[in-house]
Formats: sequence, C-alpha cells, structure tokens
Amino acid sequence: MRRIPRTVLAGAAVAGGVAAAGFAVRRRASTTGGDPRWHSVTVFRPLDDVGANLPEKLRALEVQLHPAPGDRGTEVRARSAGGEVPDGEVQRVLRESRSLLEVGDVLQPGGPTTTPTPLNKPLRAITRRTRTGGLS
Amino acid sequence: MKALQWRGVNKLAVGEVPDPEIRNRGDIIVKVKQTVTCGSDLHLLGGYIPFMEKGDVLGHEFVGEVVETGADVQRHRIGDRVVVSSFIACGKCWFCSQKEYSLCDNGNTNPAITETLWGQAPGGCFGYSHAMGGNPGSHAEYIRVPFADVGAFTVPDEVTDQRALFASDSASTGWMGADLGGVQPGDVVAVWGAGAVGQMAARAAMLLGADRVMVIDRYDNRLHQVEKHVGAETINYEQTNVALELRDRTGGRGPDVCIEAVGMEAHTPGPQQAYDQVKQQLRLQTDRPSAVREAVHACRKGGSVFVLGVFAGFVDKFPLGALMNKGLTVRGAQMHGQRYIPMLLERMAKGELTTEHLATHVMPLDEAPEGYRIFKEKEDGCVRSVFLP
Repeated sequence: MRRIPRTVLAGAAVAGGVAAAGFAVRRRASTTGGDPRWHSVTVFRPLDDVGANLPEKLRALEVQLHPAPGDRGTEVRARSAGGEVPDGEVQRVLRESRSLLEVGDVLQPGGPTTTPTPLNKPLRAITRRTRTGGLS
Repeated sequence: MKALQWRGVNKLAVGEVPDPEIRNRGDIIVKVKQTVTCGSDLHLLGGYIPFMEKGDVLGHEFVGEVVETGADVQRHRIGDRVVVSSFIACGKCWFCSQKEYSLCDNGNTNPAITETLWGQAPGGCFGYSHAMGGNPGSHAEYIRVPFADVGAFTVPDEVTDQRALFASDSASTGWMGADLGGVQPGDVVAVWGAGAVGQMAARAAMLLGADRVMVIDRYDNRLHQVEKHVGAETINYEQTNVALELRDRTGGRGPDVCIEAVGMEAHTPGPQQAYDQVKQQLRLQTDRPSAVREAVHACRKGGSVFVLGVFAGFVDKFPLGALMNKGLTVRGAQMHGQRYIPMLLERMAKGELTTEHLATHVMPLDEAPEGYRIFKEKEDGCVRSVFLP
C-alpha cells in the first residue's frame, strides 16, 4: 500500500482548501504537546475530490488524507488536535462526512415510535446521538 | 397510523404511531399492501437481540404502493407498486459498488452498536432493532423507505403482490446463499431449514444447476412444501441421522455446498439441544449453532458452507478443526437484496420462482400478535403469516 507522508498529504490537500485549517490546527496540537487519538474512515471517492470537497465540520479538525489501496477511495484520518472535541464527536463527524462525500446527504433516523422505560434507558442514551462512538 | 409494536419480550400489540415522513431527499413513503413475518423476527420477539425499545415497529419484508416521493427520487412515481429490499443501502459506497449492499457504510444511523460488537457496522434494516438503525418496520399502514432509487423496485404487472412480497427478503436471501455459497452445475447441495428462506435457497440452487438438492427440517408440512413447490429432496432430522443420510446420498463425499437457513435458535435432537439451551439461557453463549455445526461436519472436503440464518454474538463448540482440516470455505451475510431483486422479479414473472404457498396464513394487521403466535408455535402448518394493513 502506498503511503504518502503527512507533509505531502497536507500539500495534496491544499488543492481542496483543506490544508489551511489542517496546518493551523496541527500547529496548535504541537504547541500543546497533546496526543489525541486519530480516527479513520475510508471514503469511496478519489483523493483530489475528497480534498476539494471536505465538509465544513471536518475542516475544523486536524485531517490527513491518504489514497486507499485497491481503488477503494481515500483514507481520511481526523482528530481534535487540542482534545477539545470528544472522540465520539470526531467519529460522528467522520461518518457524516463520508456520507456527504459519497451520497451528498446524511441518512436521518426514522421518526420515533418508542417510549422510555427504565430497561431501555441505556440503549436510548446511545441511539439519541446517532453515529457517535464505536471504533472508527 | 396503526402499527405492530414490540412492547417487551414476547409482548406484541397493535398501536397508534406517528405517520412516517420524508426525512431525506431520496426517501419515498410506501403504503404497505402486504407485510410478512420472518423467522429472524422471533429472535427480536424472544429478547435474544437486546437492542429493542418498547414501541419499536417490526417487519422488514413487504410490498406496497408509493404515495410520496422525496425531491431527489428519480426511479419511482406516486402510484408505483414496489417491493423493497429489507436492507437499506446507499448505492454509492465501496461496499455497494461491490454489490454487497447489506454492508453499506451509510445505511445505518446507529453504527456504534454493531461496530463495537462485531468490529465493523453493516448497513441498516427495516424493523430490526436499534443495532440495525432503529428504522420503523413494515408491519404498519405506511413506511418510509430511504435511498428508494437503490432499494425499491417496481413490480411487473404479471407478478402478484403475494409473489412479489417474498422477493423483499426470503427469496433474495435464499438466492444469495446459493450464489455466494458457490453452487455450480452438477453440485449436490444440502439446505438446513425448510422455512421460506431455506425453500428459496433450495429453489435457487436448483435454478443455478445443482444436480441434487436436499432440505433438512423436522416439520412434515414444510418438508411437504419443499417436495411439492420446490422440487427438492427432503430429510426429516427427527426420523433419521442427517450426517449418515447425507453421506449415503452423496456416495460418501458429503454435499458440495451446505446452506444453513436456521439461525440462532436452532433445534436439534439429543443432548446437544439441552447443552446449547442451558448455555444460551445462562448467557454463556448468545446463539445456538447446532445446524451450523452439522453443516460444517457434513460438508465435503474442500466444500462450502454458507450461513444464512441470523446470528448475533458468540457460539460454543464451533468445529474449527473440521473447517481447517477439511479445507472448507465458510461464508455468511445479511441479504444483498438490491443485487438480486430485479432478477428475481423477472423469474417470478416467468413463473420460474413461485412463493404464494409460503403465505399459509393471511390476516388483517389488527391480528398480527396472533399471527406471530401461530408463526412462532408453527401451529396449523404455519410457514409465514402475512398481514394486510
């Protein structure tokens, strides 16, 4: 698999107007000395296309773009450089960004038909915040 | 509108829920004409898949009429008669590009649950718990269908509602088992389970050129349907030793392709059943895999086992040694309906694939709780209960 060094990737992302935000946030990360976790998704769009159309919420994060192997699109890594954005929120932004880039829309959940009970309280806490959390 | 709701473990009721509405530009709203029970619903009903909330609407296999379309919908118009894939897929992600629609990256609004459980999240499904997106199901007067240009298909005039209904899930799931299980002309195929999915898998194997197809079950009425409507051979596992019977019928080789269409609440004669039930009830294993074990053991060297039945978590005593030493290929999937439904509708229109016999009990939606009880208990020869909202 061909990996493009971070600096080159940042350069590639310039075309899409991503780099400015990415560099700015990355500088801040280096000054704070923090090491927040990276989260990743693969978007089934060419790297140039992803870089040129990065959704706004993703631009607010530190972002790396790599071409995915086997014509699978673009690997998008993101993190909150200063750690001010919770991991679950970074994951949600990545998933929604993937959908926006691939589909042009983000699937909304169906209308509620359920009622709260003590037993389903933990499940409702998870499903209330769609696309948040998990392993991505 | 009226809908059949899950109200707790083994509790169902028809209640009032809000009408669905267009929420994405690719949505349509379908007036449900027919909707059918599925064996996999029984896992939800019995609490084996613990991601249900009181009030969730069940049902994922249905046919209906388009009554509203989102701004971006191009393939459907109001008044179209459509059958809809039970799994929701965007049609644009890498998995959809590979025609593995049930693995869609963008069809599940709650991916964190299954990603944590299984490492990756499959797509969403109608009426199949919050692990699969919490989408309201089809046992209702109306249903919202996202990504309608990808997952809804116009039913040809020659195909009745009741025939098209089973293209939604049973027939497409069964076909997938035979197709991705690798059935080739001349193969011998064994199918565990003579419910609707097992019957459709057997029929698919025959249409793909299998030389012999054998279906294993314990209910005479279902085995009779297999002989009469599918044209396959049958084995009643309560009357014979399945492993010995399959060896005998295959010249000692074992079936080339074994398709498991039973799932996580499998039944088997003998002490294995008690062992699995105790472990499942104690939550030491989530699923009872006796049919999978038998399929792996029976399969010929170098053969293929396809797991079509729904499993949720972990199983005990999986015969990994047999899998490895016999060089088996074991594969499974939720259904890739979008891949198969157009072809199935064509075959249905030509009469190659008939499904009406599966609808043994047809009733109004108001009677759905009783329909599920009959279906679960296999009373009165019930293979599937069909509801008319």
